[in-house]
Amino acid sequence: MTSADATLTLPASLTAAALPLPATRRAGWLRRQARGLVAIALLLVVMFPFLWLVQLAFKPGAEIFEDSLLFVPTLEGFRSLLQGNFLKSFWNSLAVSTLSTGLSLLIGVPAAYALTRWQFRGRRHVALWILVTRMAPPIAFTIPFFLAYRWLGLQDTIAGLAIVYLTFNLAIVIWLMQTFFEAVPTALEEAAYIDGCVVWQAFWRITLPLASPGLAATAVLCFIFSWNDFFYALILTRTNAITAPVAIVNFLQYEGWEWTKIAASGTLVMFPVVIFTVLVRTYLVRGLTAGGVKD
Amino acid sequence: MSTLTAQSGLGWEAARRRAFLWGLLPSLAVLLVITLVPALALLVASFTPLSLTDAAATFHFNDPLVNYRHLLEDERFLRSIATQLKLSISSVALQLAVGLGLALLLNGRSKLLGATRTVFLIPMVLPPIVVALIWKIMYTPDVSPLHRALEAVGLPVRSLIANPDTALWAISIADTWQWFPFTMLMVLATLQMVPDDPLEAASLDGANRWQLFRYIVFPYIRPVLVVCGLFRLIDSFKAFPLIYVLTDGGPGTVTEVTNYYGFIQAFNFSYWGYASAIAMVMLAGVFMLSWLVGRLGWNDHDKR
Repeated sequence: MTSADATLTLPASLTAAALPLPATRRAGWLRRQARGLVAIALLLVVMFPFLWLVQLAFKPGAEIFEDSLLFVPTLEGFRSLLQGNFLKSFWNSLAVSTLSTGLSLLIGVPAAYALTRWQFRGRRHVALWILVTRMAPPIAFTIPFFLAYRWLGLQDTIAGLAIVYLTFNLAIVIWLMQTFFEAVPTALEEAAYIDGCVVWQAFWRITLPLASPGLAATAVLCFIFSWNDFFYALILTRTNAITAPVAIVNFLQYEGWEWTKIAASGTLVMFPVVIFTVLVRTYLVRGLTAGGVKD
Repeated sequence: MSTLTAQSGLGWEAARRRAFLWGLLPSLAVLLVITLVPALALLVASFTPLSLTDAAATFHFNDPLVNYRHLLEDERFLRSIATQLKLSISSVALQLAVGLGLALLLNGRSKLLGATRTVFLIPMVLPPIVVALIWKIMYTPDVSPLHRALEAVGLPVRSLIANPDTALWAISIADTWQWFPFTMLMVLATLQMVPDDPLEAASLDGANRWQLFRYIVFPYIRPVLVVCGLFRLIDSFKAFPLIYVLTDGGPGTVTEVTNYYGFIQAFNFSYWGYASAIAMVMLAGVFMLSWLVGRLGWNDHDKR
């Protein structure tokens, strides 16, 4: 509650100006523009560190310690990445994220459907258990996985890492797809049953196609979460299955301070994520806030 | 559903149940193997002095509580909890304040505001390691535009992450930057459900804007703020990349949070048994907070 109270100390002018009041609506154009301008000014301030990283990636090495934004952009940083091992770690990231996303959809989507349509005793407990696995701190999983993988020979392999990512991806798929399946009316499935479809035929032909935008969004989210992971990859990979985030840290630690190259690697790694975000914004928002708000 | 059951009889219903069971079983089996089994292994390991240096002690249970007893006397561990609380509470409070403020500002129908909302999402979806990199640049005097600007006006400042007094707050700021969009999103979603009528009625009655916010809008968004706070609190225990890249737990141990201390015990010193006990303590904390989230009605899917 203390944190909620802290929000009250916001300047009254800021909060009040933002209320969707009838009066504000009538006041119209000028007022809205003023708000837009404030929003854009804040946007520039907040996104400044992010933009600084991106411009650093294109800055010639000789000018890295100068402030001027007037430089001839260079692809030097990106080129030196292509020559090194970075590309391999990028492919590893791609492979691990794709594999883990595919696996979690394959296993998780039928489970989500069953949980939505089948009201059995203990259903609430099963759903809660699945949710809690997402909450658990990764270190609790890493210690047993690290020891087990050494024994199983899964250490430093793409398959091993993809399996670990199921610990959070499966929970996301099951939890999120439930909300999308709930939105599909059961009447359609019942009609299919009467036509002689069995449960999974009706699911495959009717429910899944109707929930396909949700499915796509879920896949994107799983991909992003796997792509973004650093902790598991740091501990469970060494050289062979190293992912891009770990490669960035290696640059920081072992290759001195080649800022252009480091910034270029950061820019490359975040690029897919930012593109995805802009493309599937609406569903992403739903996924990121899943369950937090009744919709 | 009832009409269908009546038509098709019990055999059909049983077949349907079996079909659902087959859909659910693979997930439950996989989750059992990758979450419950490791959790049990962790619990067992936390009762042993398992470590790389003393392989013979691996399965000794003659003093099962030795690790937990040691935890209570380990000042570095106790300090890590205090650090964790400072970091979590400060960054979550900041996130809630910034997120709420921005949500109120951006709650509108214009296209411009919509586009702004999308761009504000970016910090949250960035790979945490890139966020850490961004702030490493901001806090490194050589390449940081902020440091150079301060130097230009004659106020050179020591790097915030190298100074023991400010290092934790520097991380808190970076963490806030990454996660304020979460609160912003949740509050924006809730604001759309605030009805217009009471607002109109109150403003006809002469309420000013602050009163409208305080007495009509705020009660609507308070529950979501509490849930956001708890959610972020749980997630803040996992903060790792920021600390790993920015300070490595230093200077000294001032930014060493519990998660990081566990990581060091396990993967730098190979004290697996002791690290498992630390992880168990964290798990217990997370479960308690999750339970609180459940109690506060976050879990609405099941009640419907």
